[in-house]
Amino acid sequence: MVTTPRVNWVLFVLYSLVAISMTVAALVSPAFRAQAPAPLRDVILPAPKPVILNVLYSTEKDAWLAEVVAAFEASQVLVDGHPVQVEMEKMGSREMVLAVLDGTNRPDIISPASMLQIAILQDQSTAAFGAPLVNMADEELCPSVVTTPLVLVAWEERAQALWGNHPGEDFWRDFQTALVDPAGWSAFGHPEWGYVKFGHTDPLRSNSGFMTILLMTYDFHDRTSGLSAADITADPEYQSWFLDFERSISQFEYSTGPLMEKMIAYGPSTYDIAAVYEATAIEQAENATGRYGDLRIYYPPVTVWSDHPFCILNADWVTPEKNQAARLFLDYLQSPEVQQLALLRYGFRPTDPAIPLDQPGSPFNVYAPNGLQRDLSGLPSLQPTSGDVLNILLEFWSRNVAR
Amino acid sequence: MKRISIPLFSIVMILFLLLAACAPIAGMFNTVTISIVYGSEKRAWLEPLVDQYNAGRYQTEDGAVIRVEITPMGSIESVDAILEGRIQPTVWSPASSVYIPVANMKWRQAHGSELVTGTPNDLVLSPVVIAMWESMARALGWPERAIGWADIAALATSEDGWAAYGYPEWGTFKFGHTHPGFSNSGIVSVIAETYAGAGKLRDLTLSDLENPDTQAFVEAVESGIIHYGSSTGFFAERMFERGPSYLSAAVLYENLVVEQESRRLAGESQQLPVVAIYPVEGTFWSNHPYVILNAPWVTEEQRSAAQDFENFLLDRPQQLKALEYGFRPADPSIDLTAPLDAQHGVDPGQPQTILEIPSAEVIAGIENLWEQVKKPVDLVVLIDASGSMQGDKIAAARSSLLQFVDLLSDRDRLQVILFNSELVTLTELSSLGEKRQDIRTRISGIIEGGNTRLYDAVDYAYAELERNADPDHIRAIVVLSDGDDTESDLTLDTLLGRIDIASLEGGSSVKLFTIAFGEDAARDVLVQLAEATGGQQYDSTMENILKVYREIATFF
Repeated sequence: MVTTPRVNWVLFVLYSLVAISMTVAALVSPAFRAQAPAPLRDVILPAPKPVILNVLYSTEKDAWLAEVVAAFEASQVLVDGHPVQVEMEKMGSREMVLAVLDGTNRPDIISPASMLQIAILQDQSTAAFGAPLVNMADEELCPSVVTTPLVLVAWEERAQALWGNHPGEDFWRDFQTALVDPAGWSAFGHPEWGYVKFGHTDPLRSNSGFMTILLMTYDFHDRTSGLSAADITADPEYQSWFLDFERSISQFEYSTGPLMEKMIAYGPSTYDIAAVYEATAIEQAENATGRYGDLRIYYPPVTVWSDHPFCILNADWVTPEKNQAARLFLDYLQSPEVQQLALLRYGFRPTDPAIPLDQPGSPFNVYAPNGLQRDLSGLPSLQPTSGDVLNILLEFWSRNVAR
Repeated sequence: MKRISIPLFSIVMILFLLLAACAPIAGMFNTVTISIVYGSEKRAWLEPLVDQYNAGRYQTEDGAVIRVEITPMGSIESVDAILEGRIQPTVWSPASSVYIPVANMKWRQAHGSELVTGTPNDLVLSPVVIAMWESMARALGWPERAIGWADIAALATSEDGWAAYGYPEWGTFKFGHTHPGFSNSGIVSVIAETYAGAGKLRDLTLSDLENPDTQAFVEAVESGIIHYGSSTGFFAERMFERGPSYLSAAVLYENLVVEQESRRLAGESQQLPVVAIYPVEGTFWSNHPYVILNAPWVTEEQRSAAQDFENFLLDRPQQLKALEYGFRPADPSIDLTAPLDAQHGVDPGQPQTILEIPSAEVIAGIENLWEQVKKPVDLVVLIDASGSMQGDKIAAARSSLLQFVDLLSDRDRLQVILFNSELVTLTELSSLGEKRQDIRTRISGIIEGGNTRLYDAVDYAYAELERNADPDHIRAIVVLSDGDDTESDLTLDTLLGRIDIASLEGGSSVKLFTIAFGEDAARDVLVQLAEATGGQQYDSTMENILKVYREIATFF
C-alpha cells in the first residue's frame, strides 16, 4: 500500500509565502514591468513614476528643443526602468543664472546661450555656496551642443545704404557715429527713414545683448583678449563713446528670440538693424521676406560665439537617477540625427564635426545670397574673459544705461 | 460589542465611492470668469473669437471651465477707471504700449508696485495713420509726395483751407483726433504733434514742452479739430458715415481704413474712397498688448485662465482672422497680404519710420500742454426744470451737472439755461475760469416747476451761440429733458429746418448732444435733433447720468 507522504504544513506555508512575495516583487519592479506584455503592464501593474528632468534653457533654442524633447520622450529611454520626462522652462540666459543663484529655480540641467553665463555661474556659486554648481571644463557634464555666432542683421535696402556689401574697417566706430548722428538716415540720403534704429537685447537678462556690449567694448580698446576692469571703469573716452552708443537705443528686449520676432513683425520702421545670433536670423529669414523684404546678415570683424552649453548641475537635488537621465539626454542631443536637425531646420552649427554645413537643404547654402558664410575661420574670435570683469561691465551698464 | 449591519456598511461604502467618482466631474461645473477691458478698435476681430472660445468650454489645468467677458473702453479712460477703482478687470488690452509706463507710474504712487510687469505679448499690430479721403490726399500730392504732421498743421492754420490747394468748394480743413485723456490715438496724435513742433524724431524732453514755438505749433494743429471723442472706433464710424463735409481727415489706425474700404468694395458703404497716410516724420504702432494685471483682485486661477485665452488668440487660425480684419498679425510667420494692399487704401511697406516713445514724465507733460492749448468749447447747457423733474430726478440732474462742469477746463466758455414754462439763464456764455465757484452755487440751487418748452429752449440756445460764440471754438449744446414739449411757440419742423441750415457748415457746425432722462422723455425727437447736427443722443437714468455726462465731455 502506497501511503501519501504527510505534508509538512509549516514548510508549505513558508515556501508559498516566499514564492508569492518574489512574484509580487518581480511584478512591481519597473525592470520587470518594462518587459511584461502590454495588457498585463497596464491593467495589473501601477505605472512606474517617471524620472523628471528639469531643464532651464534660453529662448532661442525653443523651436529646436520642442521638437527634440518630444522625440526623446517618444524614444522611451528608461532609467532603471523608469521613463524620463523632460520639463522644459525657457528664460533669458542671464535671468536663469540669477534664478539658480538665488534659489528660485532648481533645474537639473541649465542651458544658457553661452559659456559666458556658465563662467559667471561657476564663479558666483563658488563664492556663495563654497562649491561650484557647474564645471565648464568638464566636457562630459557641461558640453557645448551646438554653436552660432553673433551677427548683425539688417533690412537689405537699409544695409546697402549704410554699409554696401562690406562695412568699413572701423565697423563699430562707424556704426556708433551713424547711430548718434541727429541727422539719422539723412546722412545716407534717406531722410524718410528717420533716425537709425539699432536693437540689442537687455544685457542684464539676455546673453546676446551681453555679447554685443562686450564686443563693442573690446573693439573700442582694439583687443580680442585680456579686457581689464580699468578699461571699463577708468577710461572716460571709452565711457562716453559707449554710453552715447547705448543711449541711441530706444528699448532693450528681454530675449533674443522676441527681439528678432519683433524686428520681423514691425519691420524696418522700428528696427533697421539688430544684433542677434546667426541661427535666430536664419529662423526668421523666410518670414522677413513675406513681411517687409529680405534680410542681410553681417559678421562683425571679431566674432563672439554662442556655444549653447548644456550643464548638469552639481547640486543635491540632482539625484543619481536624474543625473543618469540627464546624461542620456545630453547623449541624445549630441547624436548625429539631432545635430543634423539642428542644422537643417534651425540653422545652428553642429558641434559634431562629421556633419558638414555644405549639404543639400542646408540654410548655409539657401541663405548664402543674404550674406550667410559657412567658413568663419578667417575671423578672429573673442578670447575668454574673467567672470569678474564680465560682471563689472554688466554693473557699469546697469548703473548708466538700464531703464 | 454591537455588530455593524452589513446593509448599512454597504450603503456607506457605495456613497463613498459615488462621492469619489463625482470629484473630477464636479470640476467641470466650476467656472472661472476673466474680464477683459480692451481698446474698441479690435472689437470686430475679438468679439466673435470670445464667443467661439466660450462655446468651446476651454478648461484650466484644474478642470474649471473658463468664461471670458469683454468690455470695450478707451485705452486711457480704462487706466483711469482701474486707478480709481471703478473697474477691476483681469486683463487690460489697450490699443498700444505707449501709456503703460504712465499707468505704472500712477499705480506705483498709490500701491508701491507695478500694475504691468514683464513684457506683455502683442495680440495684433496696426500703425497709427492719418485717414483722409483719397481725393483730398491727391490734392496734397499723395501718393508721390510724402505727407506729414507738418502738412496737417499748415492746412489747419491756413485761412484759405482747401482753396489754397485749388478746391475752395471743400471749405476749411476739418481735422479730428480722439480725446487724449480717454483714448490712445488721441494721446499719440498730440505726442506726434509735439515732436513735429519741436523738430525732433526722438529724445523729446520736458524743456521741449516749455518752448513757446512748440506750444504754438500744437495749438495751431489743434485749432483745426472739429471736436474730440472717446474712442477711435467711434470716430472712424462718424467720419465714414458723414463723409468729407464733416471731416477731411482723422487720426485712426490702419485697420479701420481697411475695414471701411472692405465695406465700400463690398457695396455696404456709398462713401468716397479713403486712404491711409503714414506721416513722413514717423508714427506710432498700435500693438494691442495683452496685460494680465498685477493687481490684488486677480487670482492665480484667473491668471492661468487668462494665459490660456491669450494662447488661443495667438494661435495661427486666430492670427489669420486678424489679417482679414485689416490688422498686421503679431505672428511674424504670417505674410502681409490682402486686404493689406493699395486696393484697400493702405501700403504694407509703410511706415518707414516711427517716433520714439517718450518717458512717462514727458507724456504726462504733453497731457498738461494739451490742456493748455486744446481747442476750447463754447457750450450751452439746457436743463429741463419742469414739474415732472421733481424729487430724486432734479437732485440727480444737479449733482451730475456739477461733476460735468468739473470736467471742463478754465478756458472753456459755459452758459447754463433752465427751461420749463420760462427760459431762465443761470449764467451767460463766459469763461469758466472766472466763475467756477459761482456757477457751482447756482447749479446747486436749481428747483423745478411748470411745463416743458423744449423746442423754444433749443432755438434760443442756437441764437445765443450765433450771437456770442467764437467761431474758432468747438460749439455745442447739451440738452437734458425728461418729457415731451408741452408749451413751445416753435414747432419741431421749424426747429429742424433751422438746424439744417446751421449744419451746412459741416464738421465745424454747432453740435447738439441730447439726453433723454427717464422713460417719459421724447426720445425720438431728441434723436432727430442730435443726428441733424452730427451730435449724439443718449438714454439716461438717474443711475447712469454721470456716465453720459463723462461721455459727452470727451467731445471737448
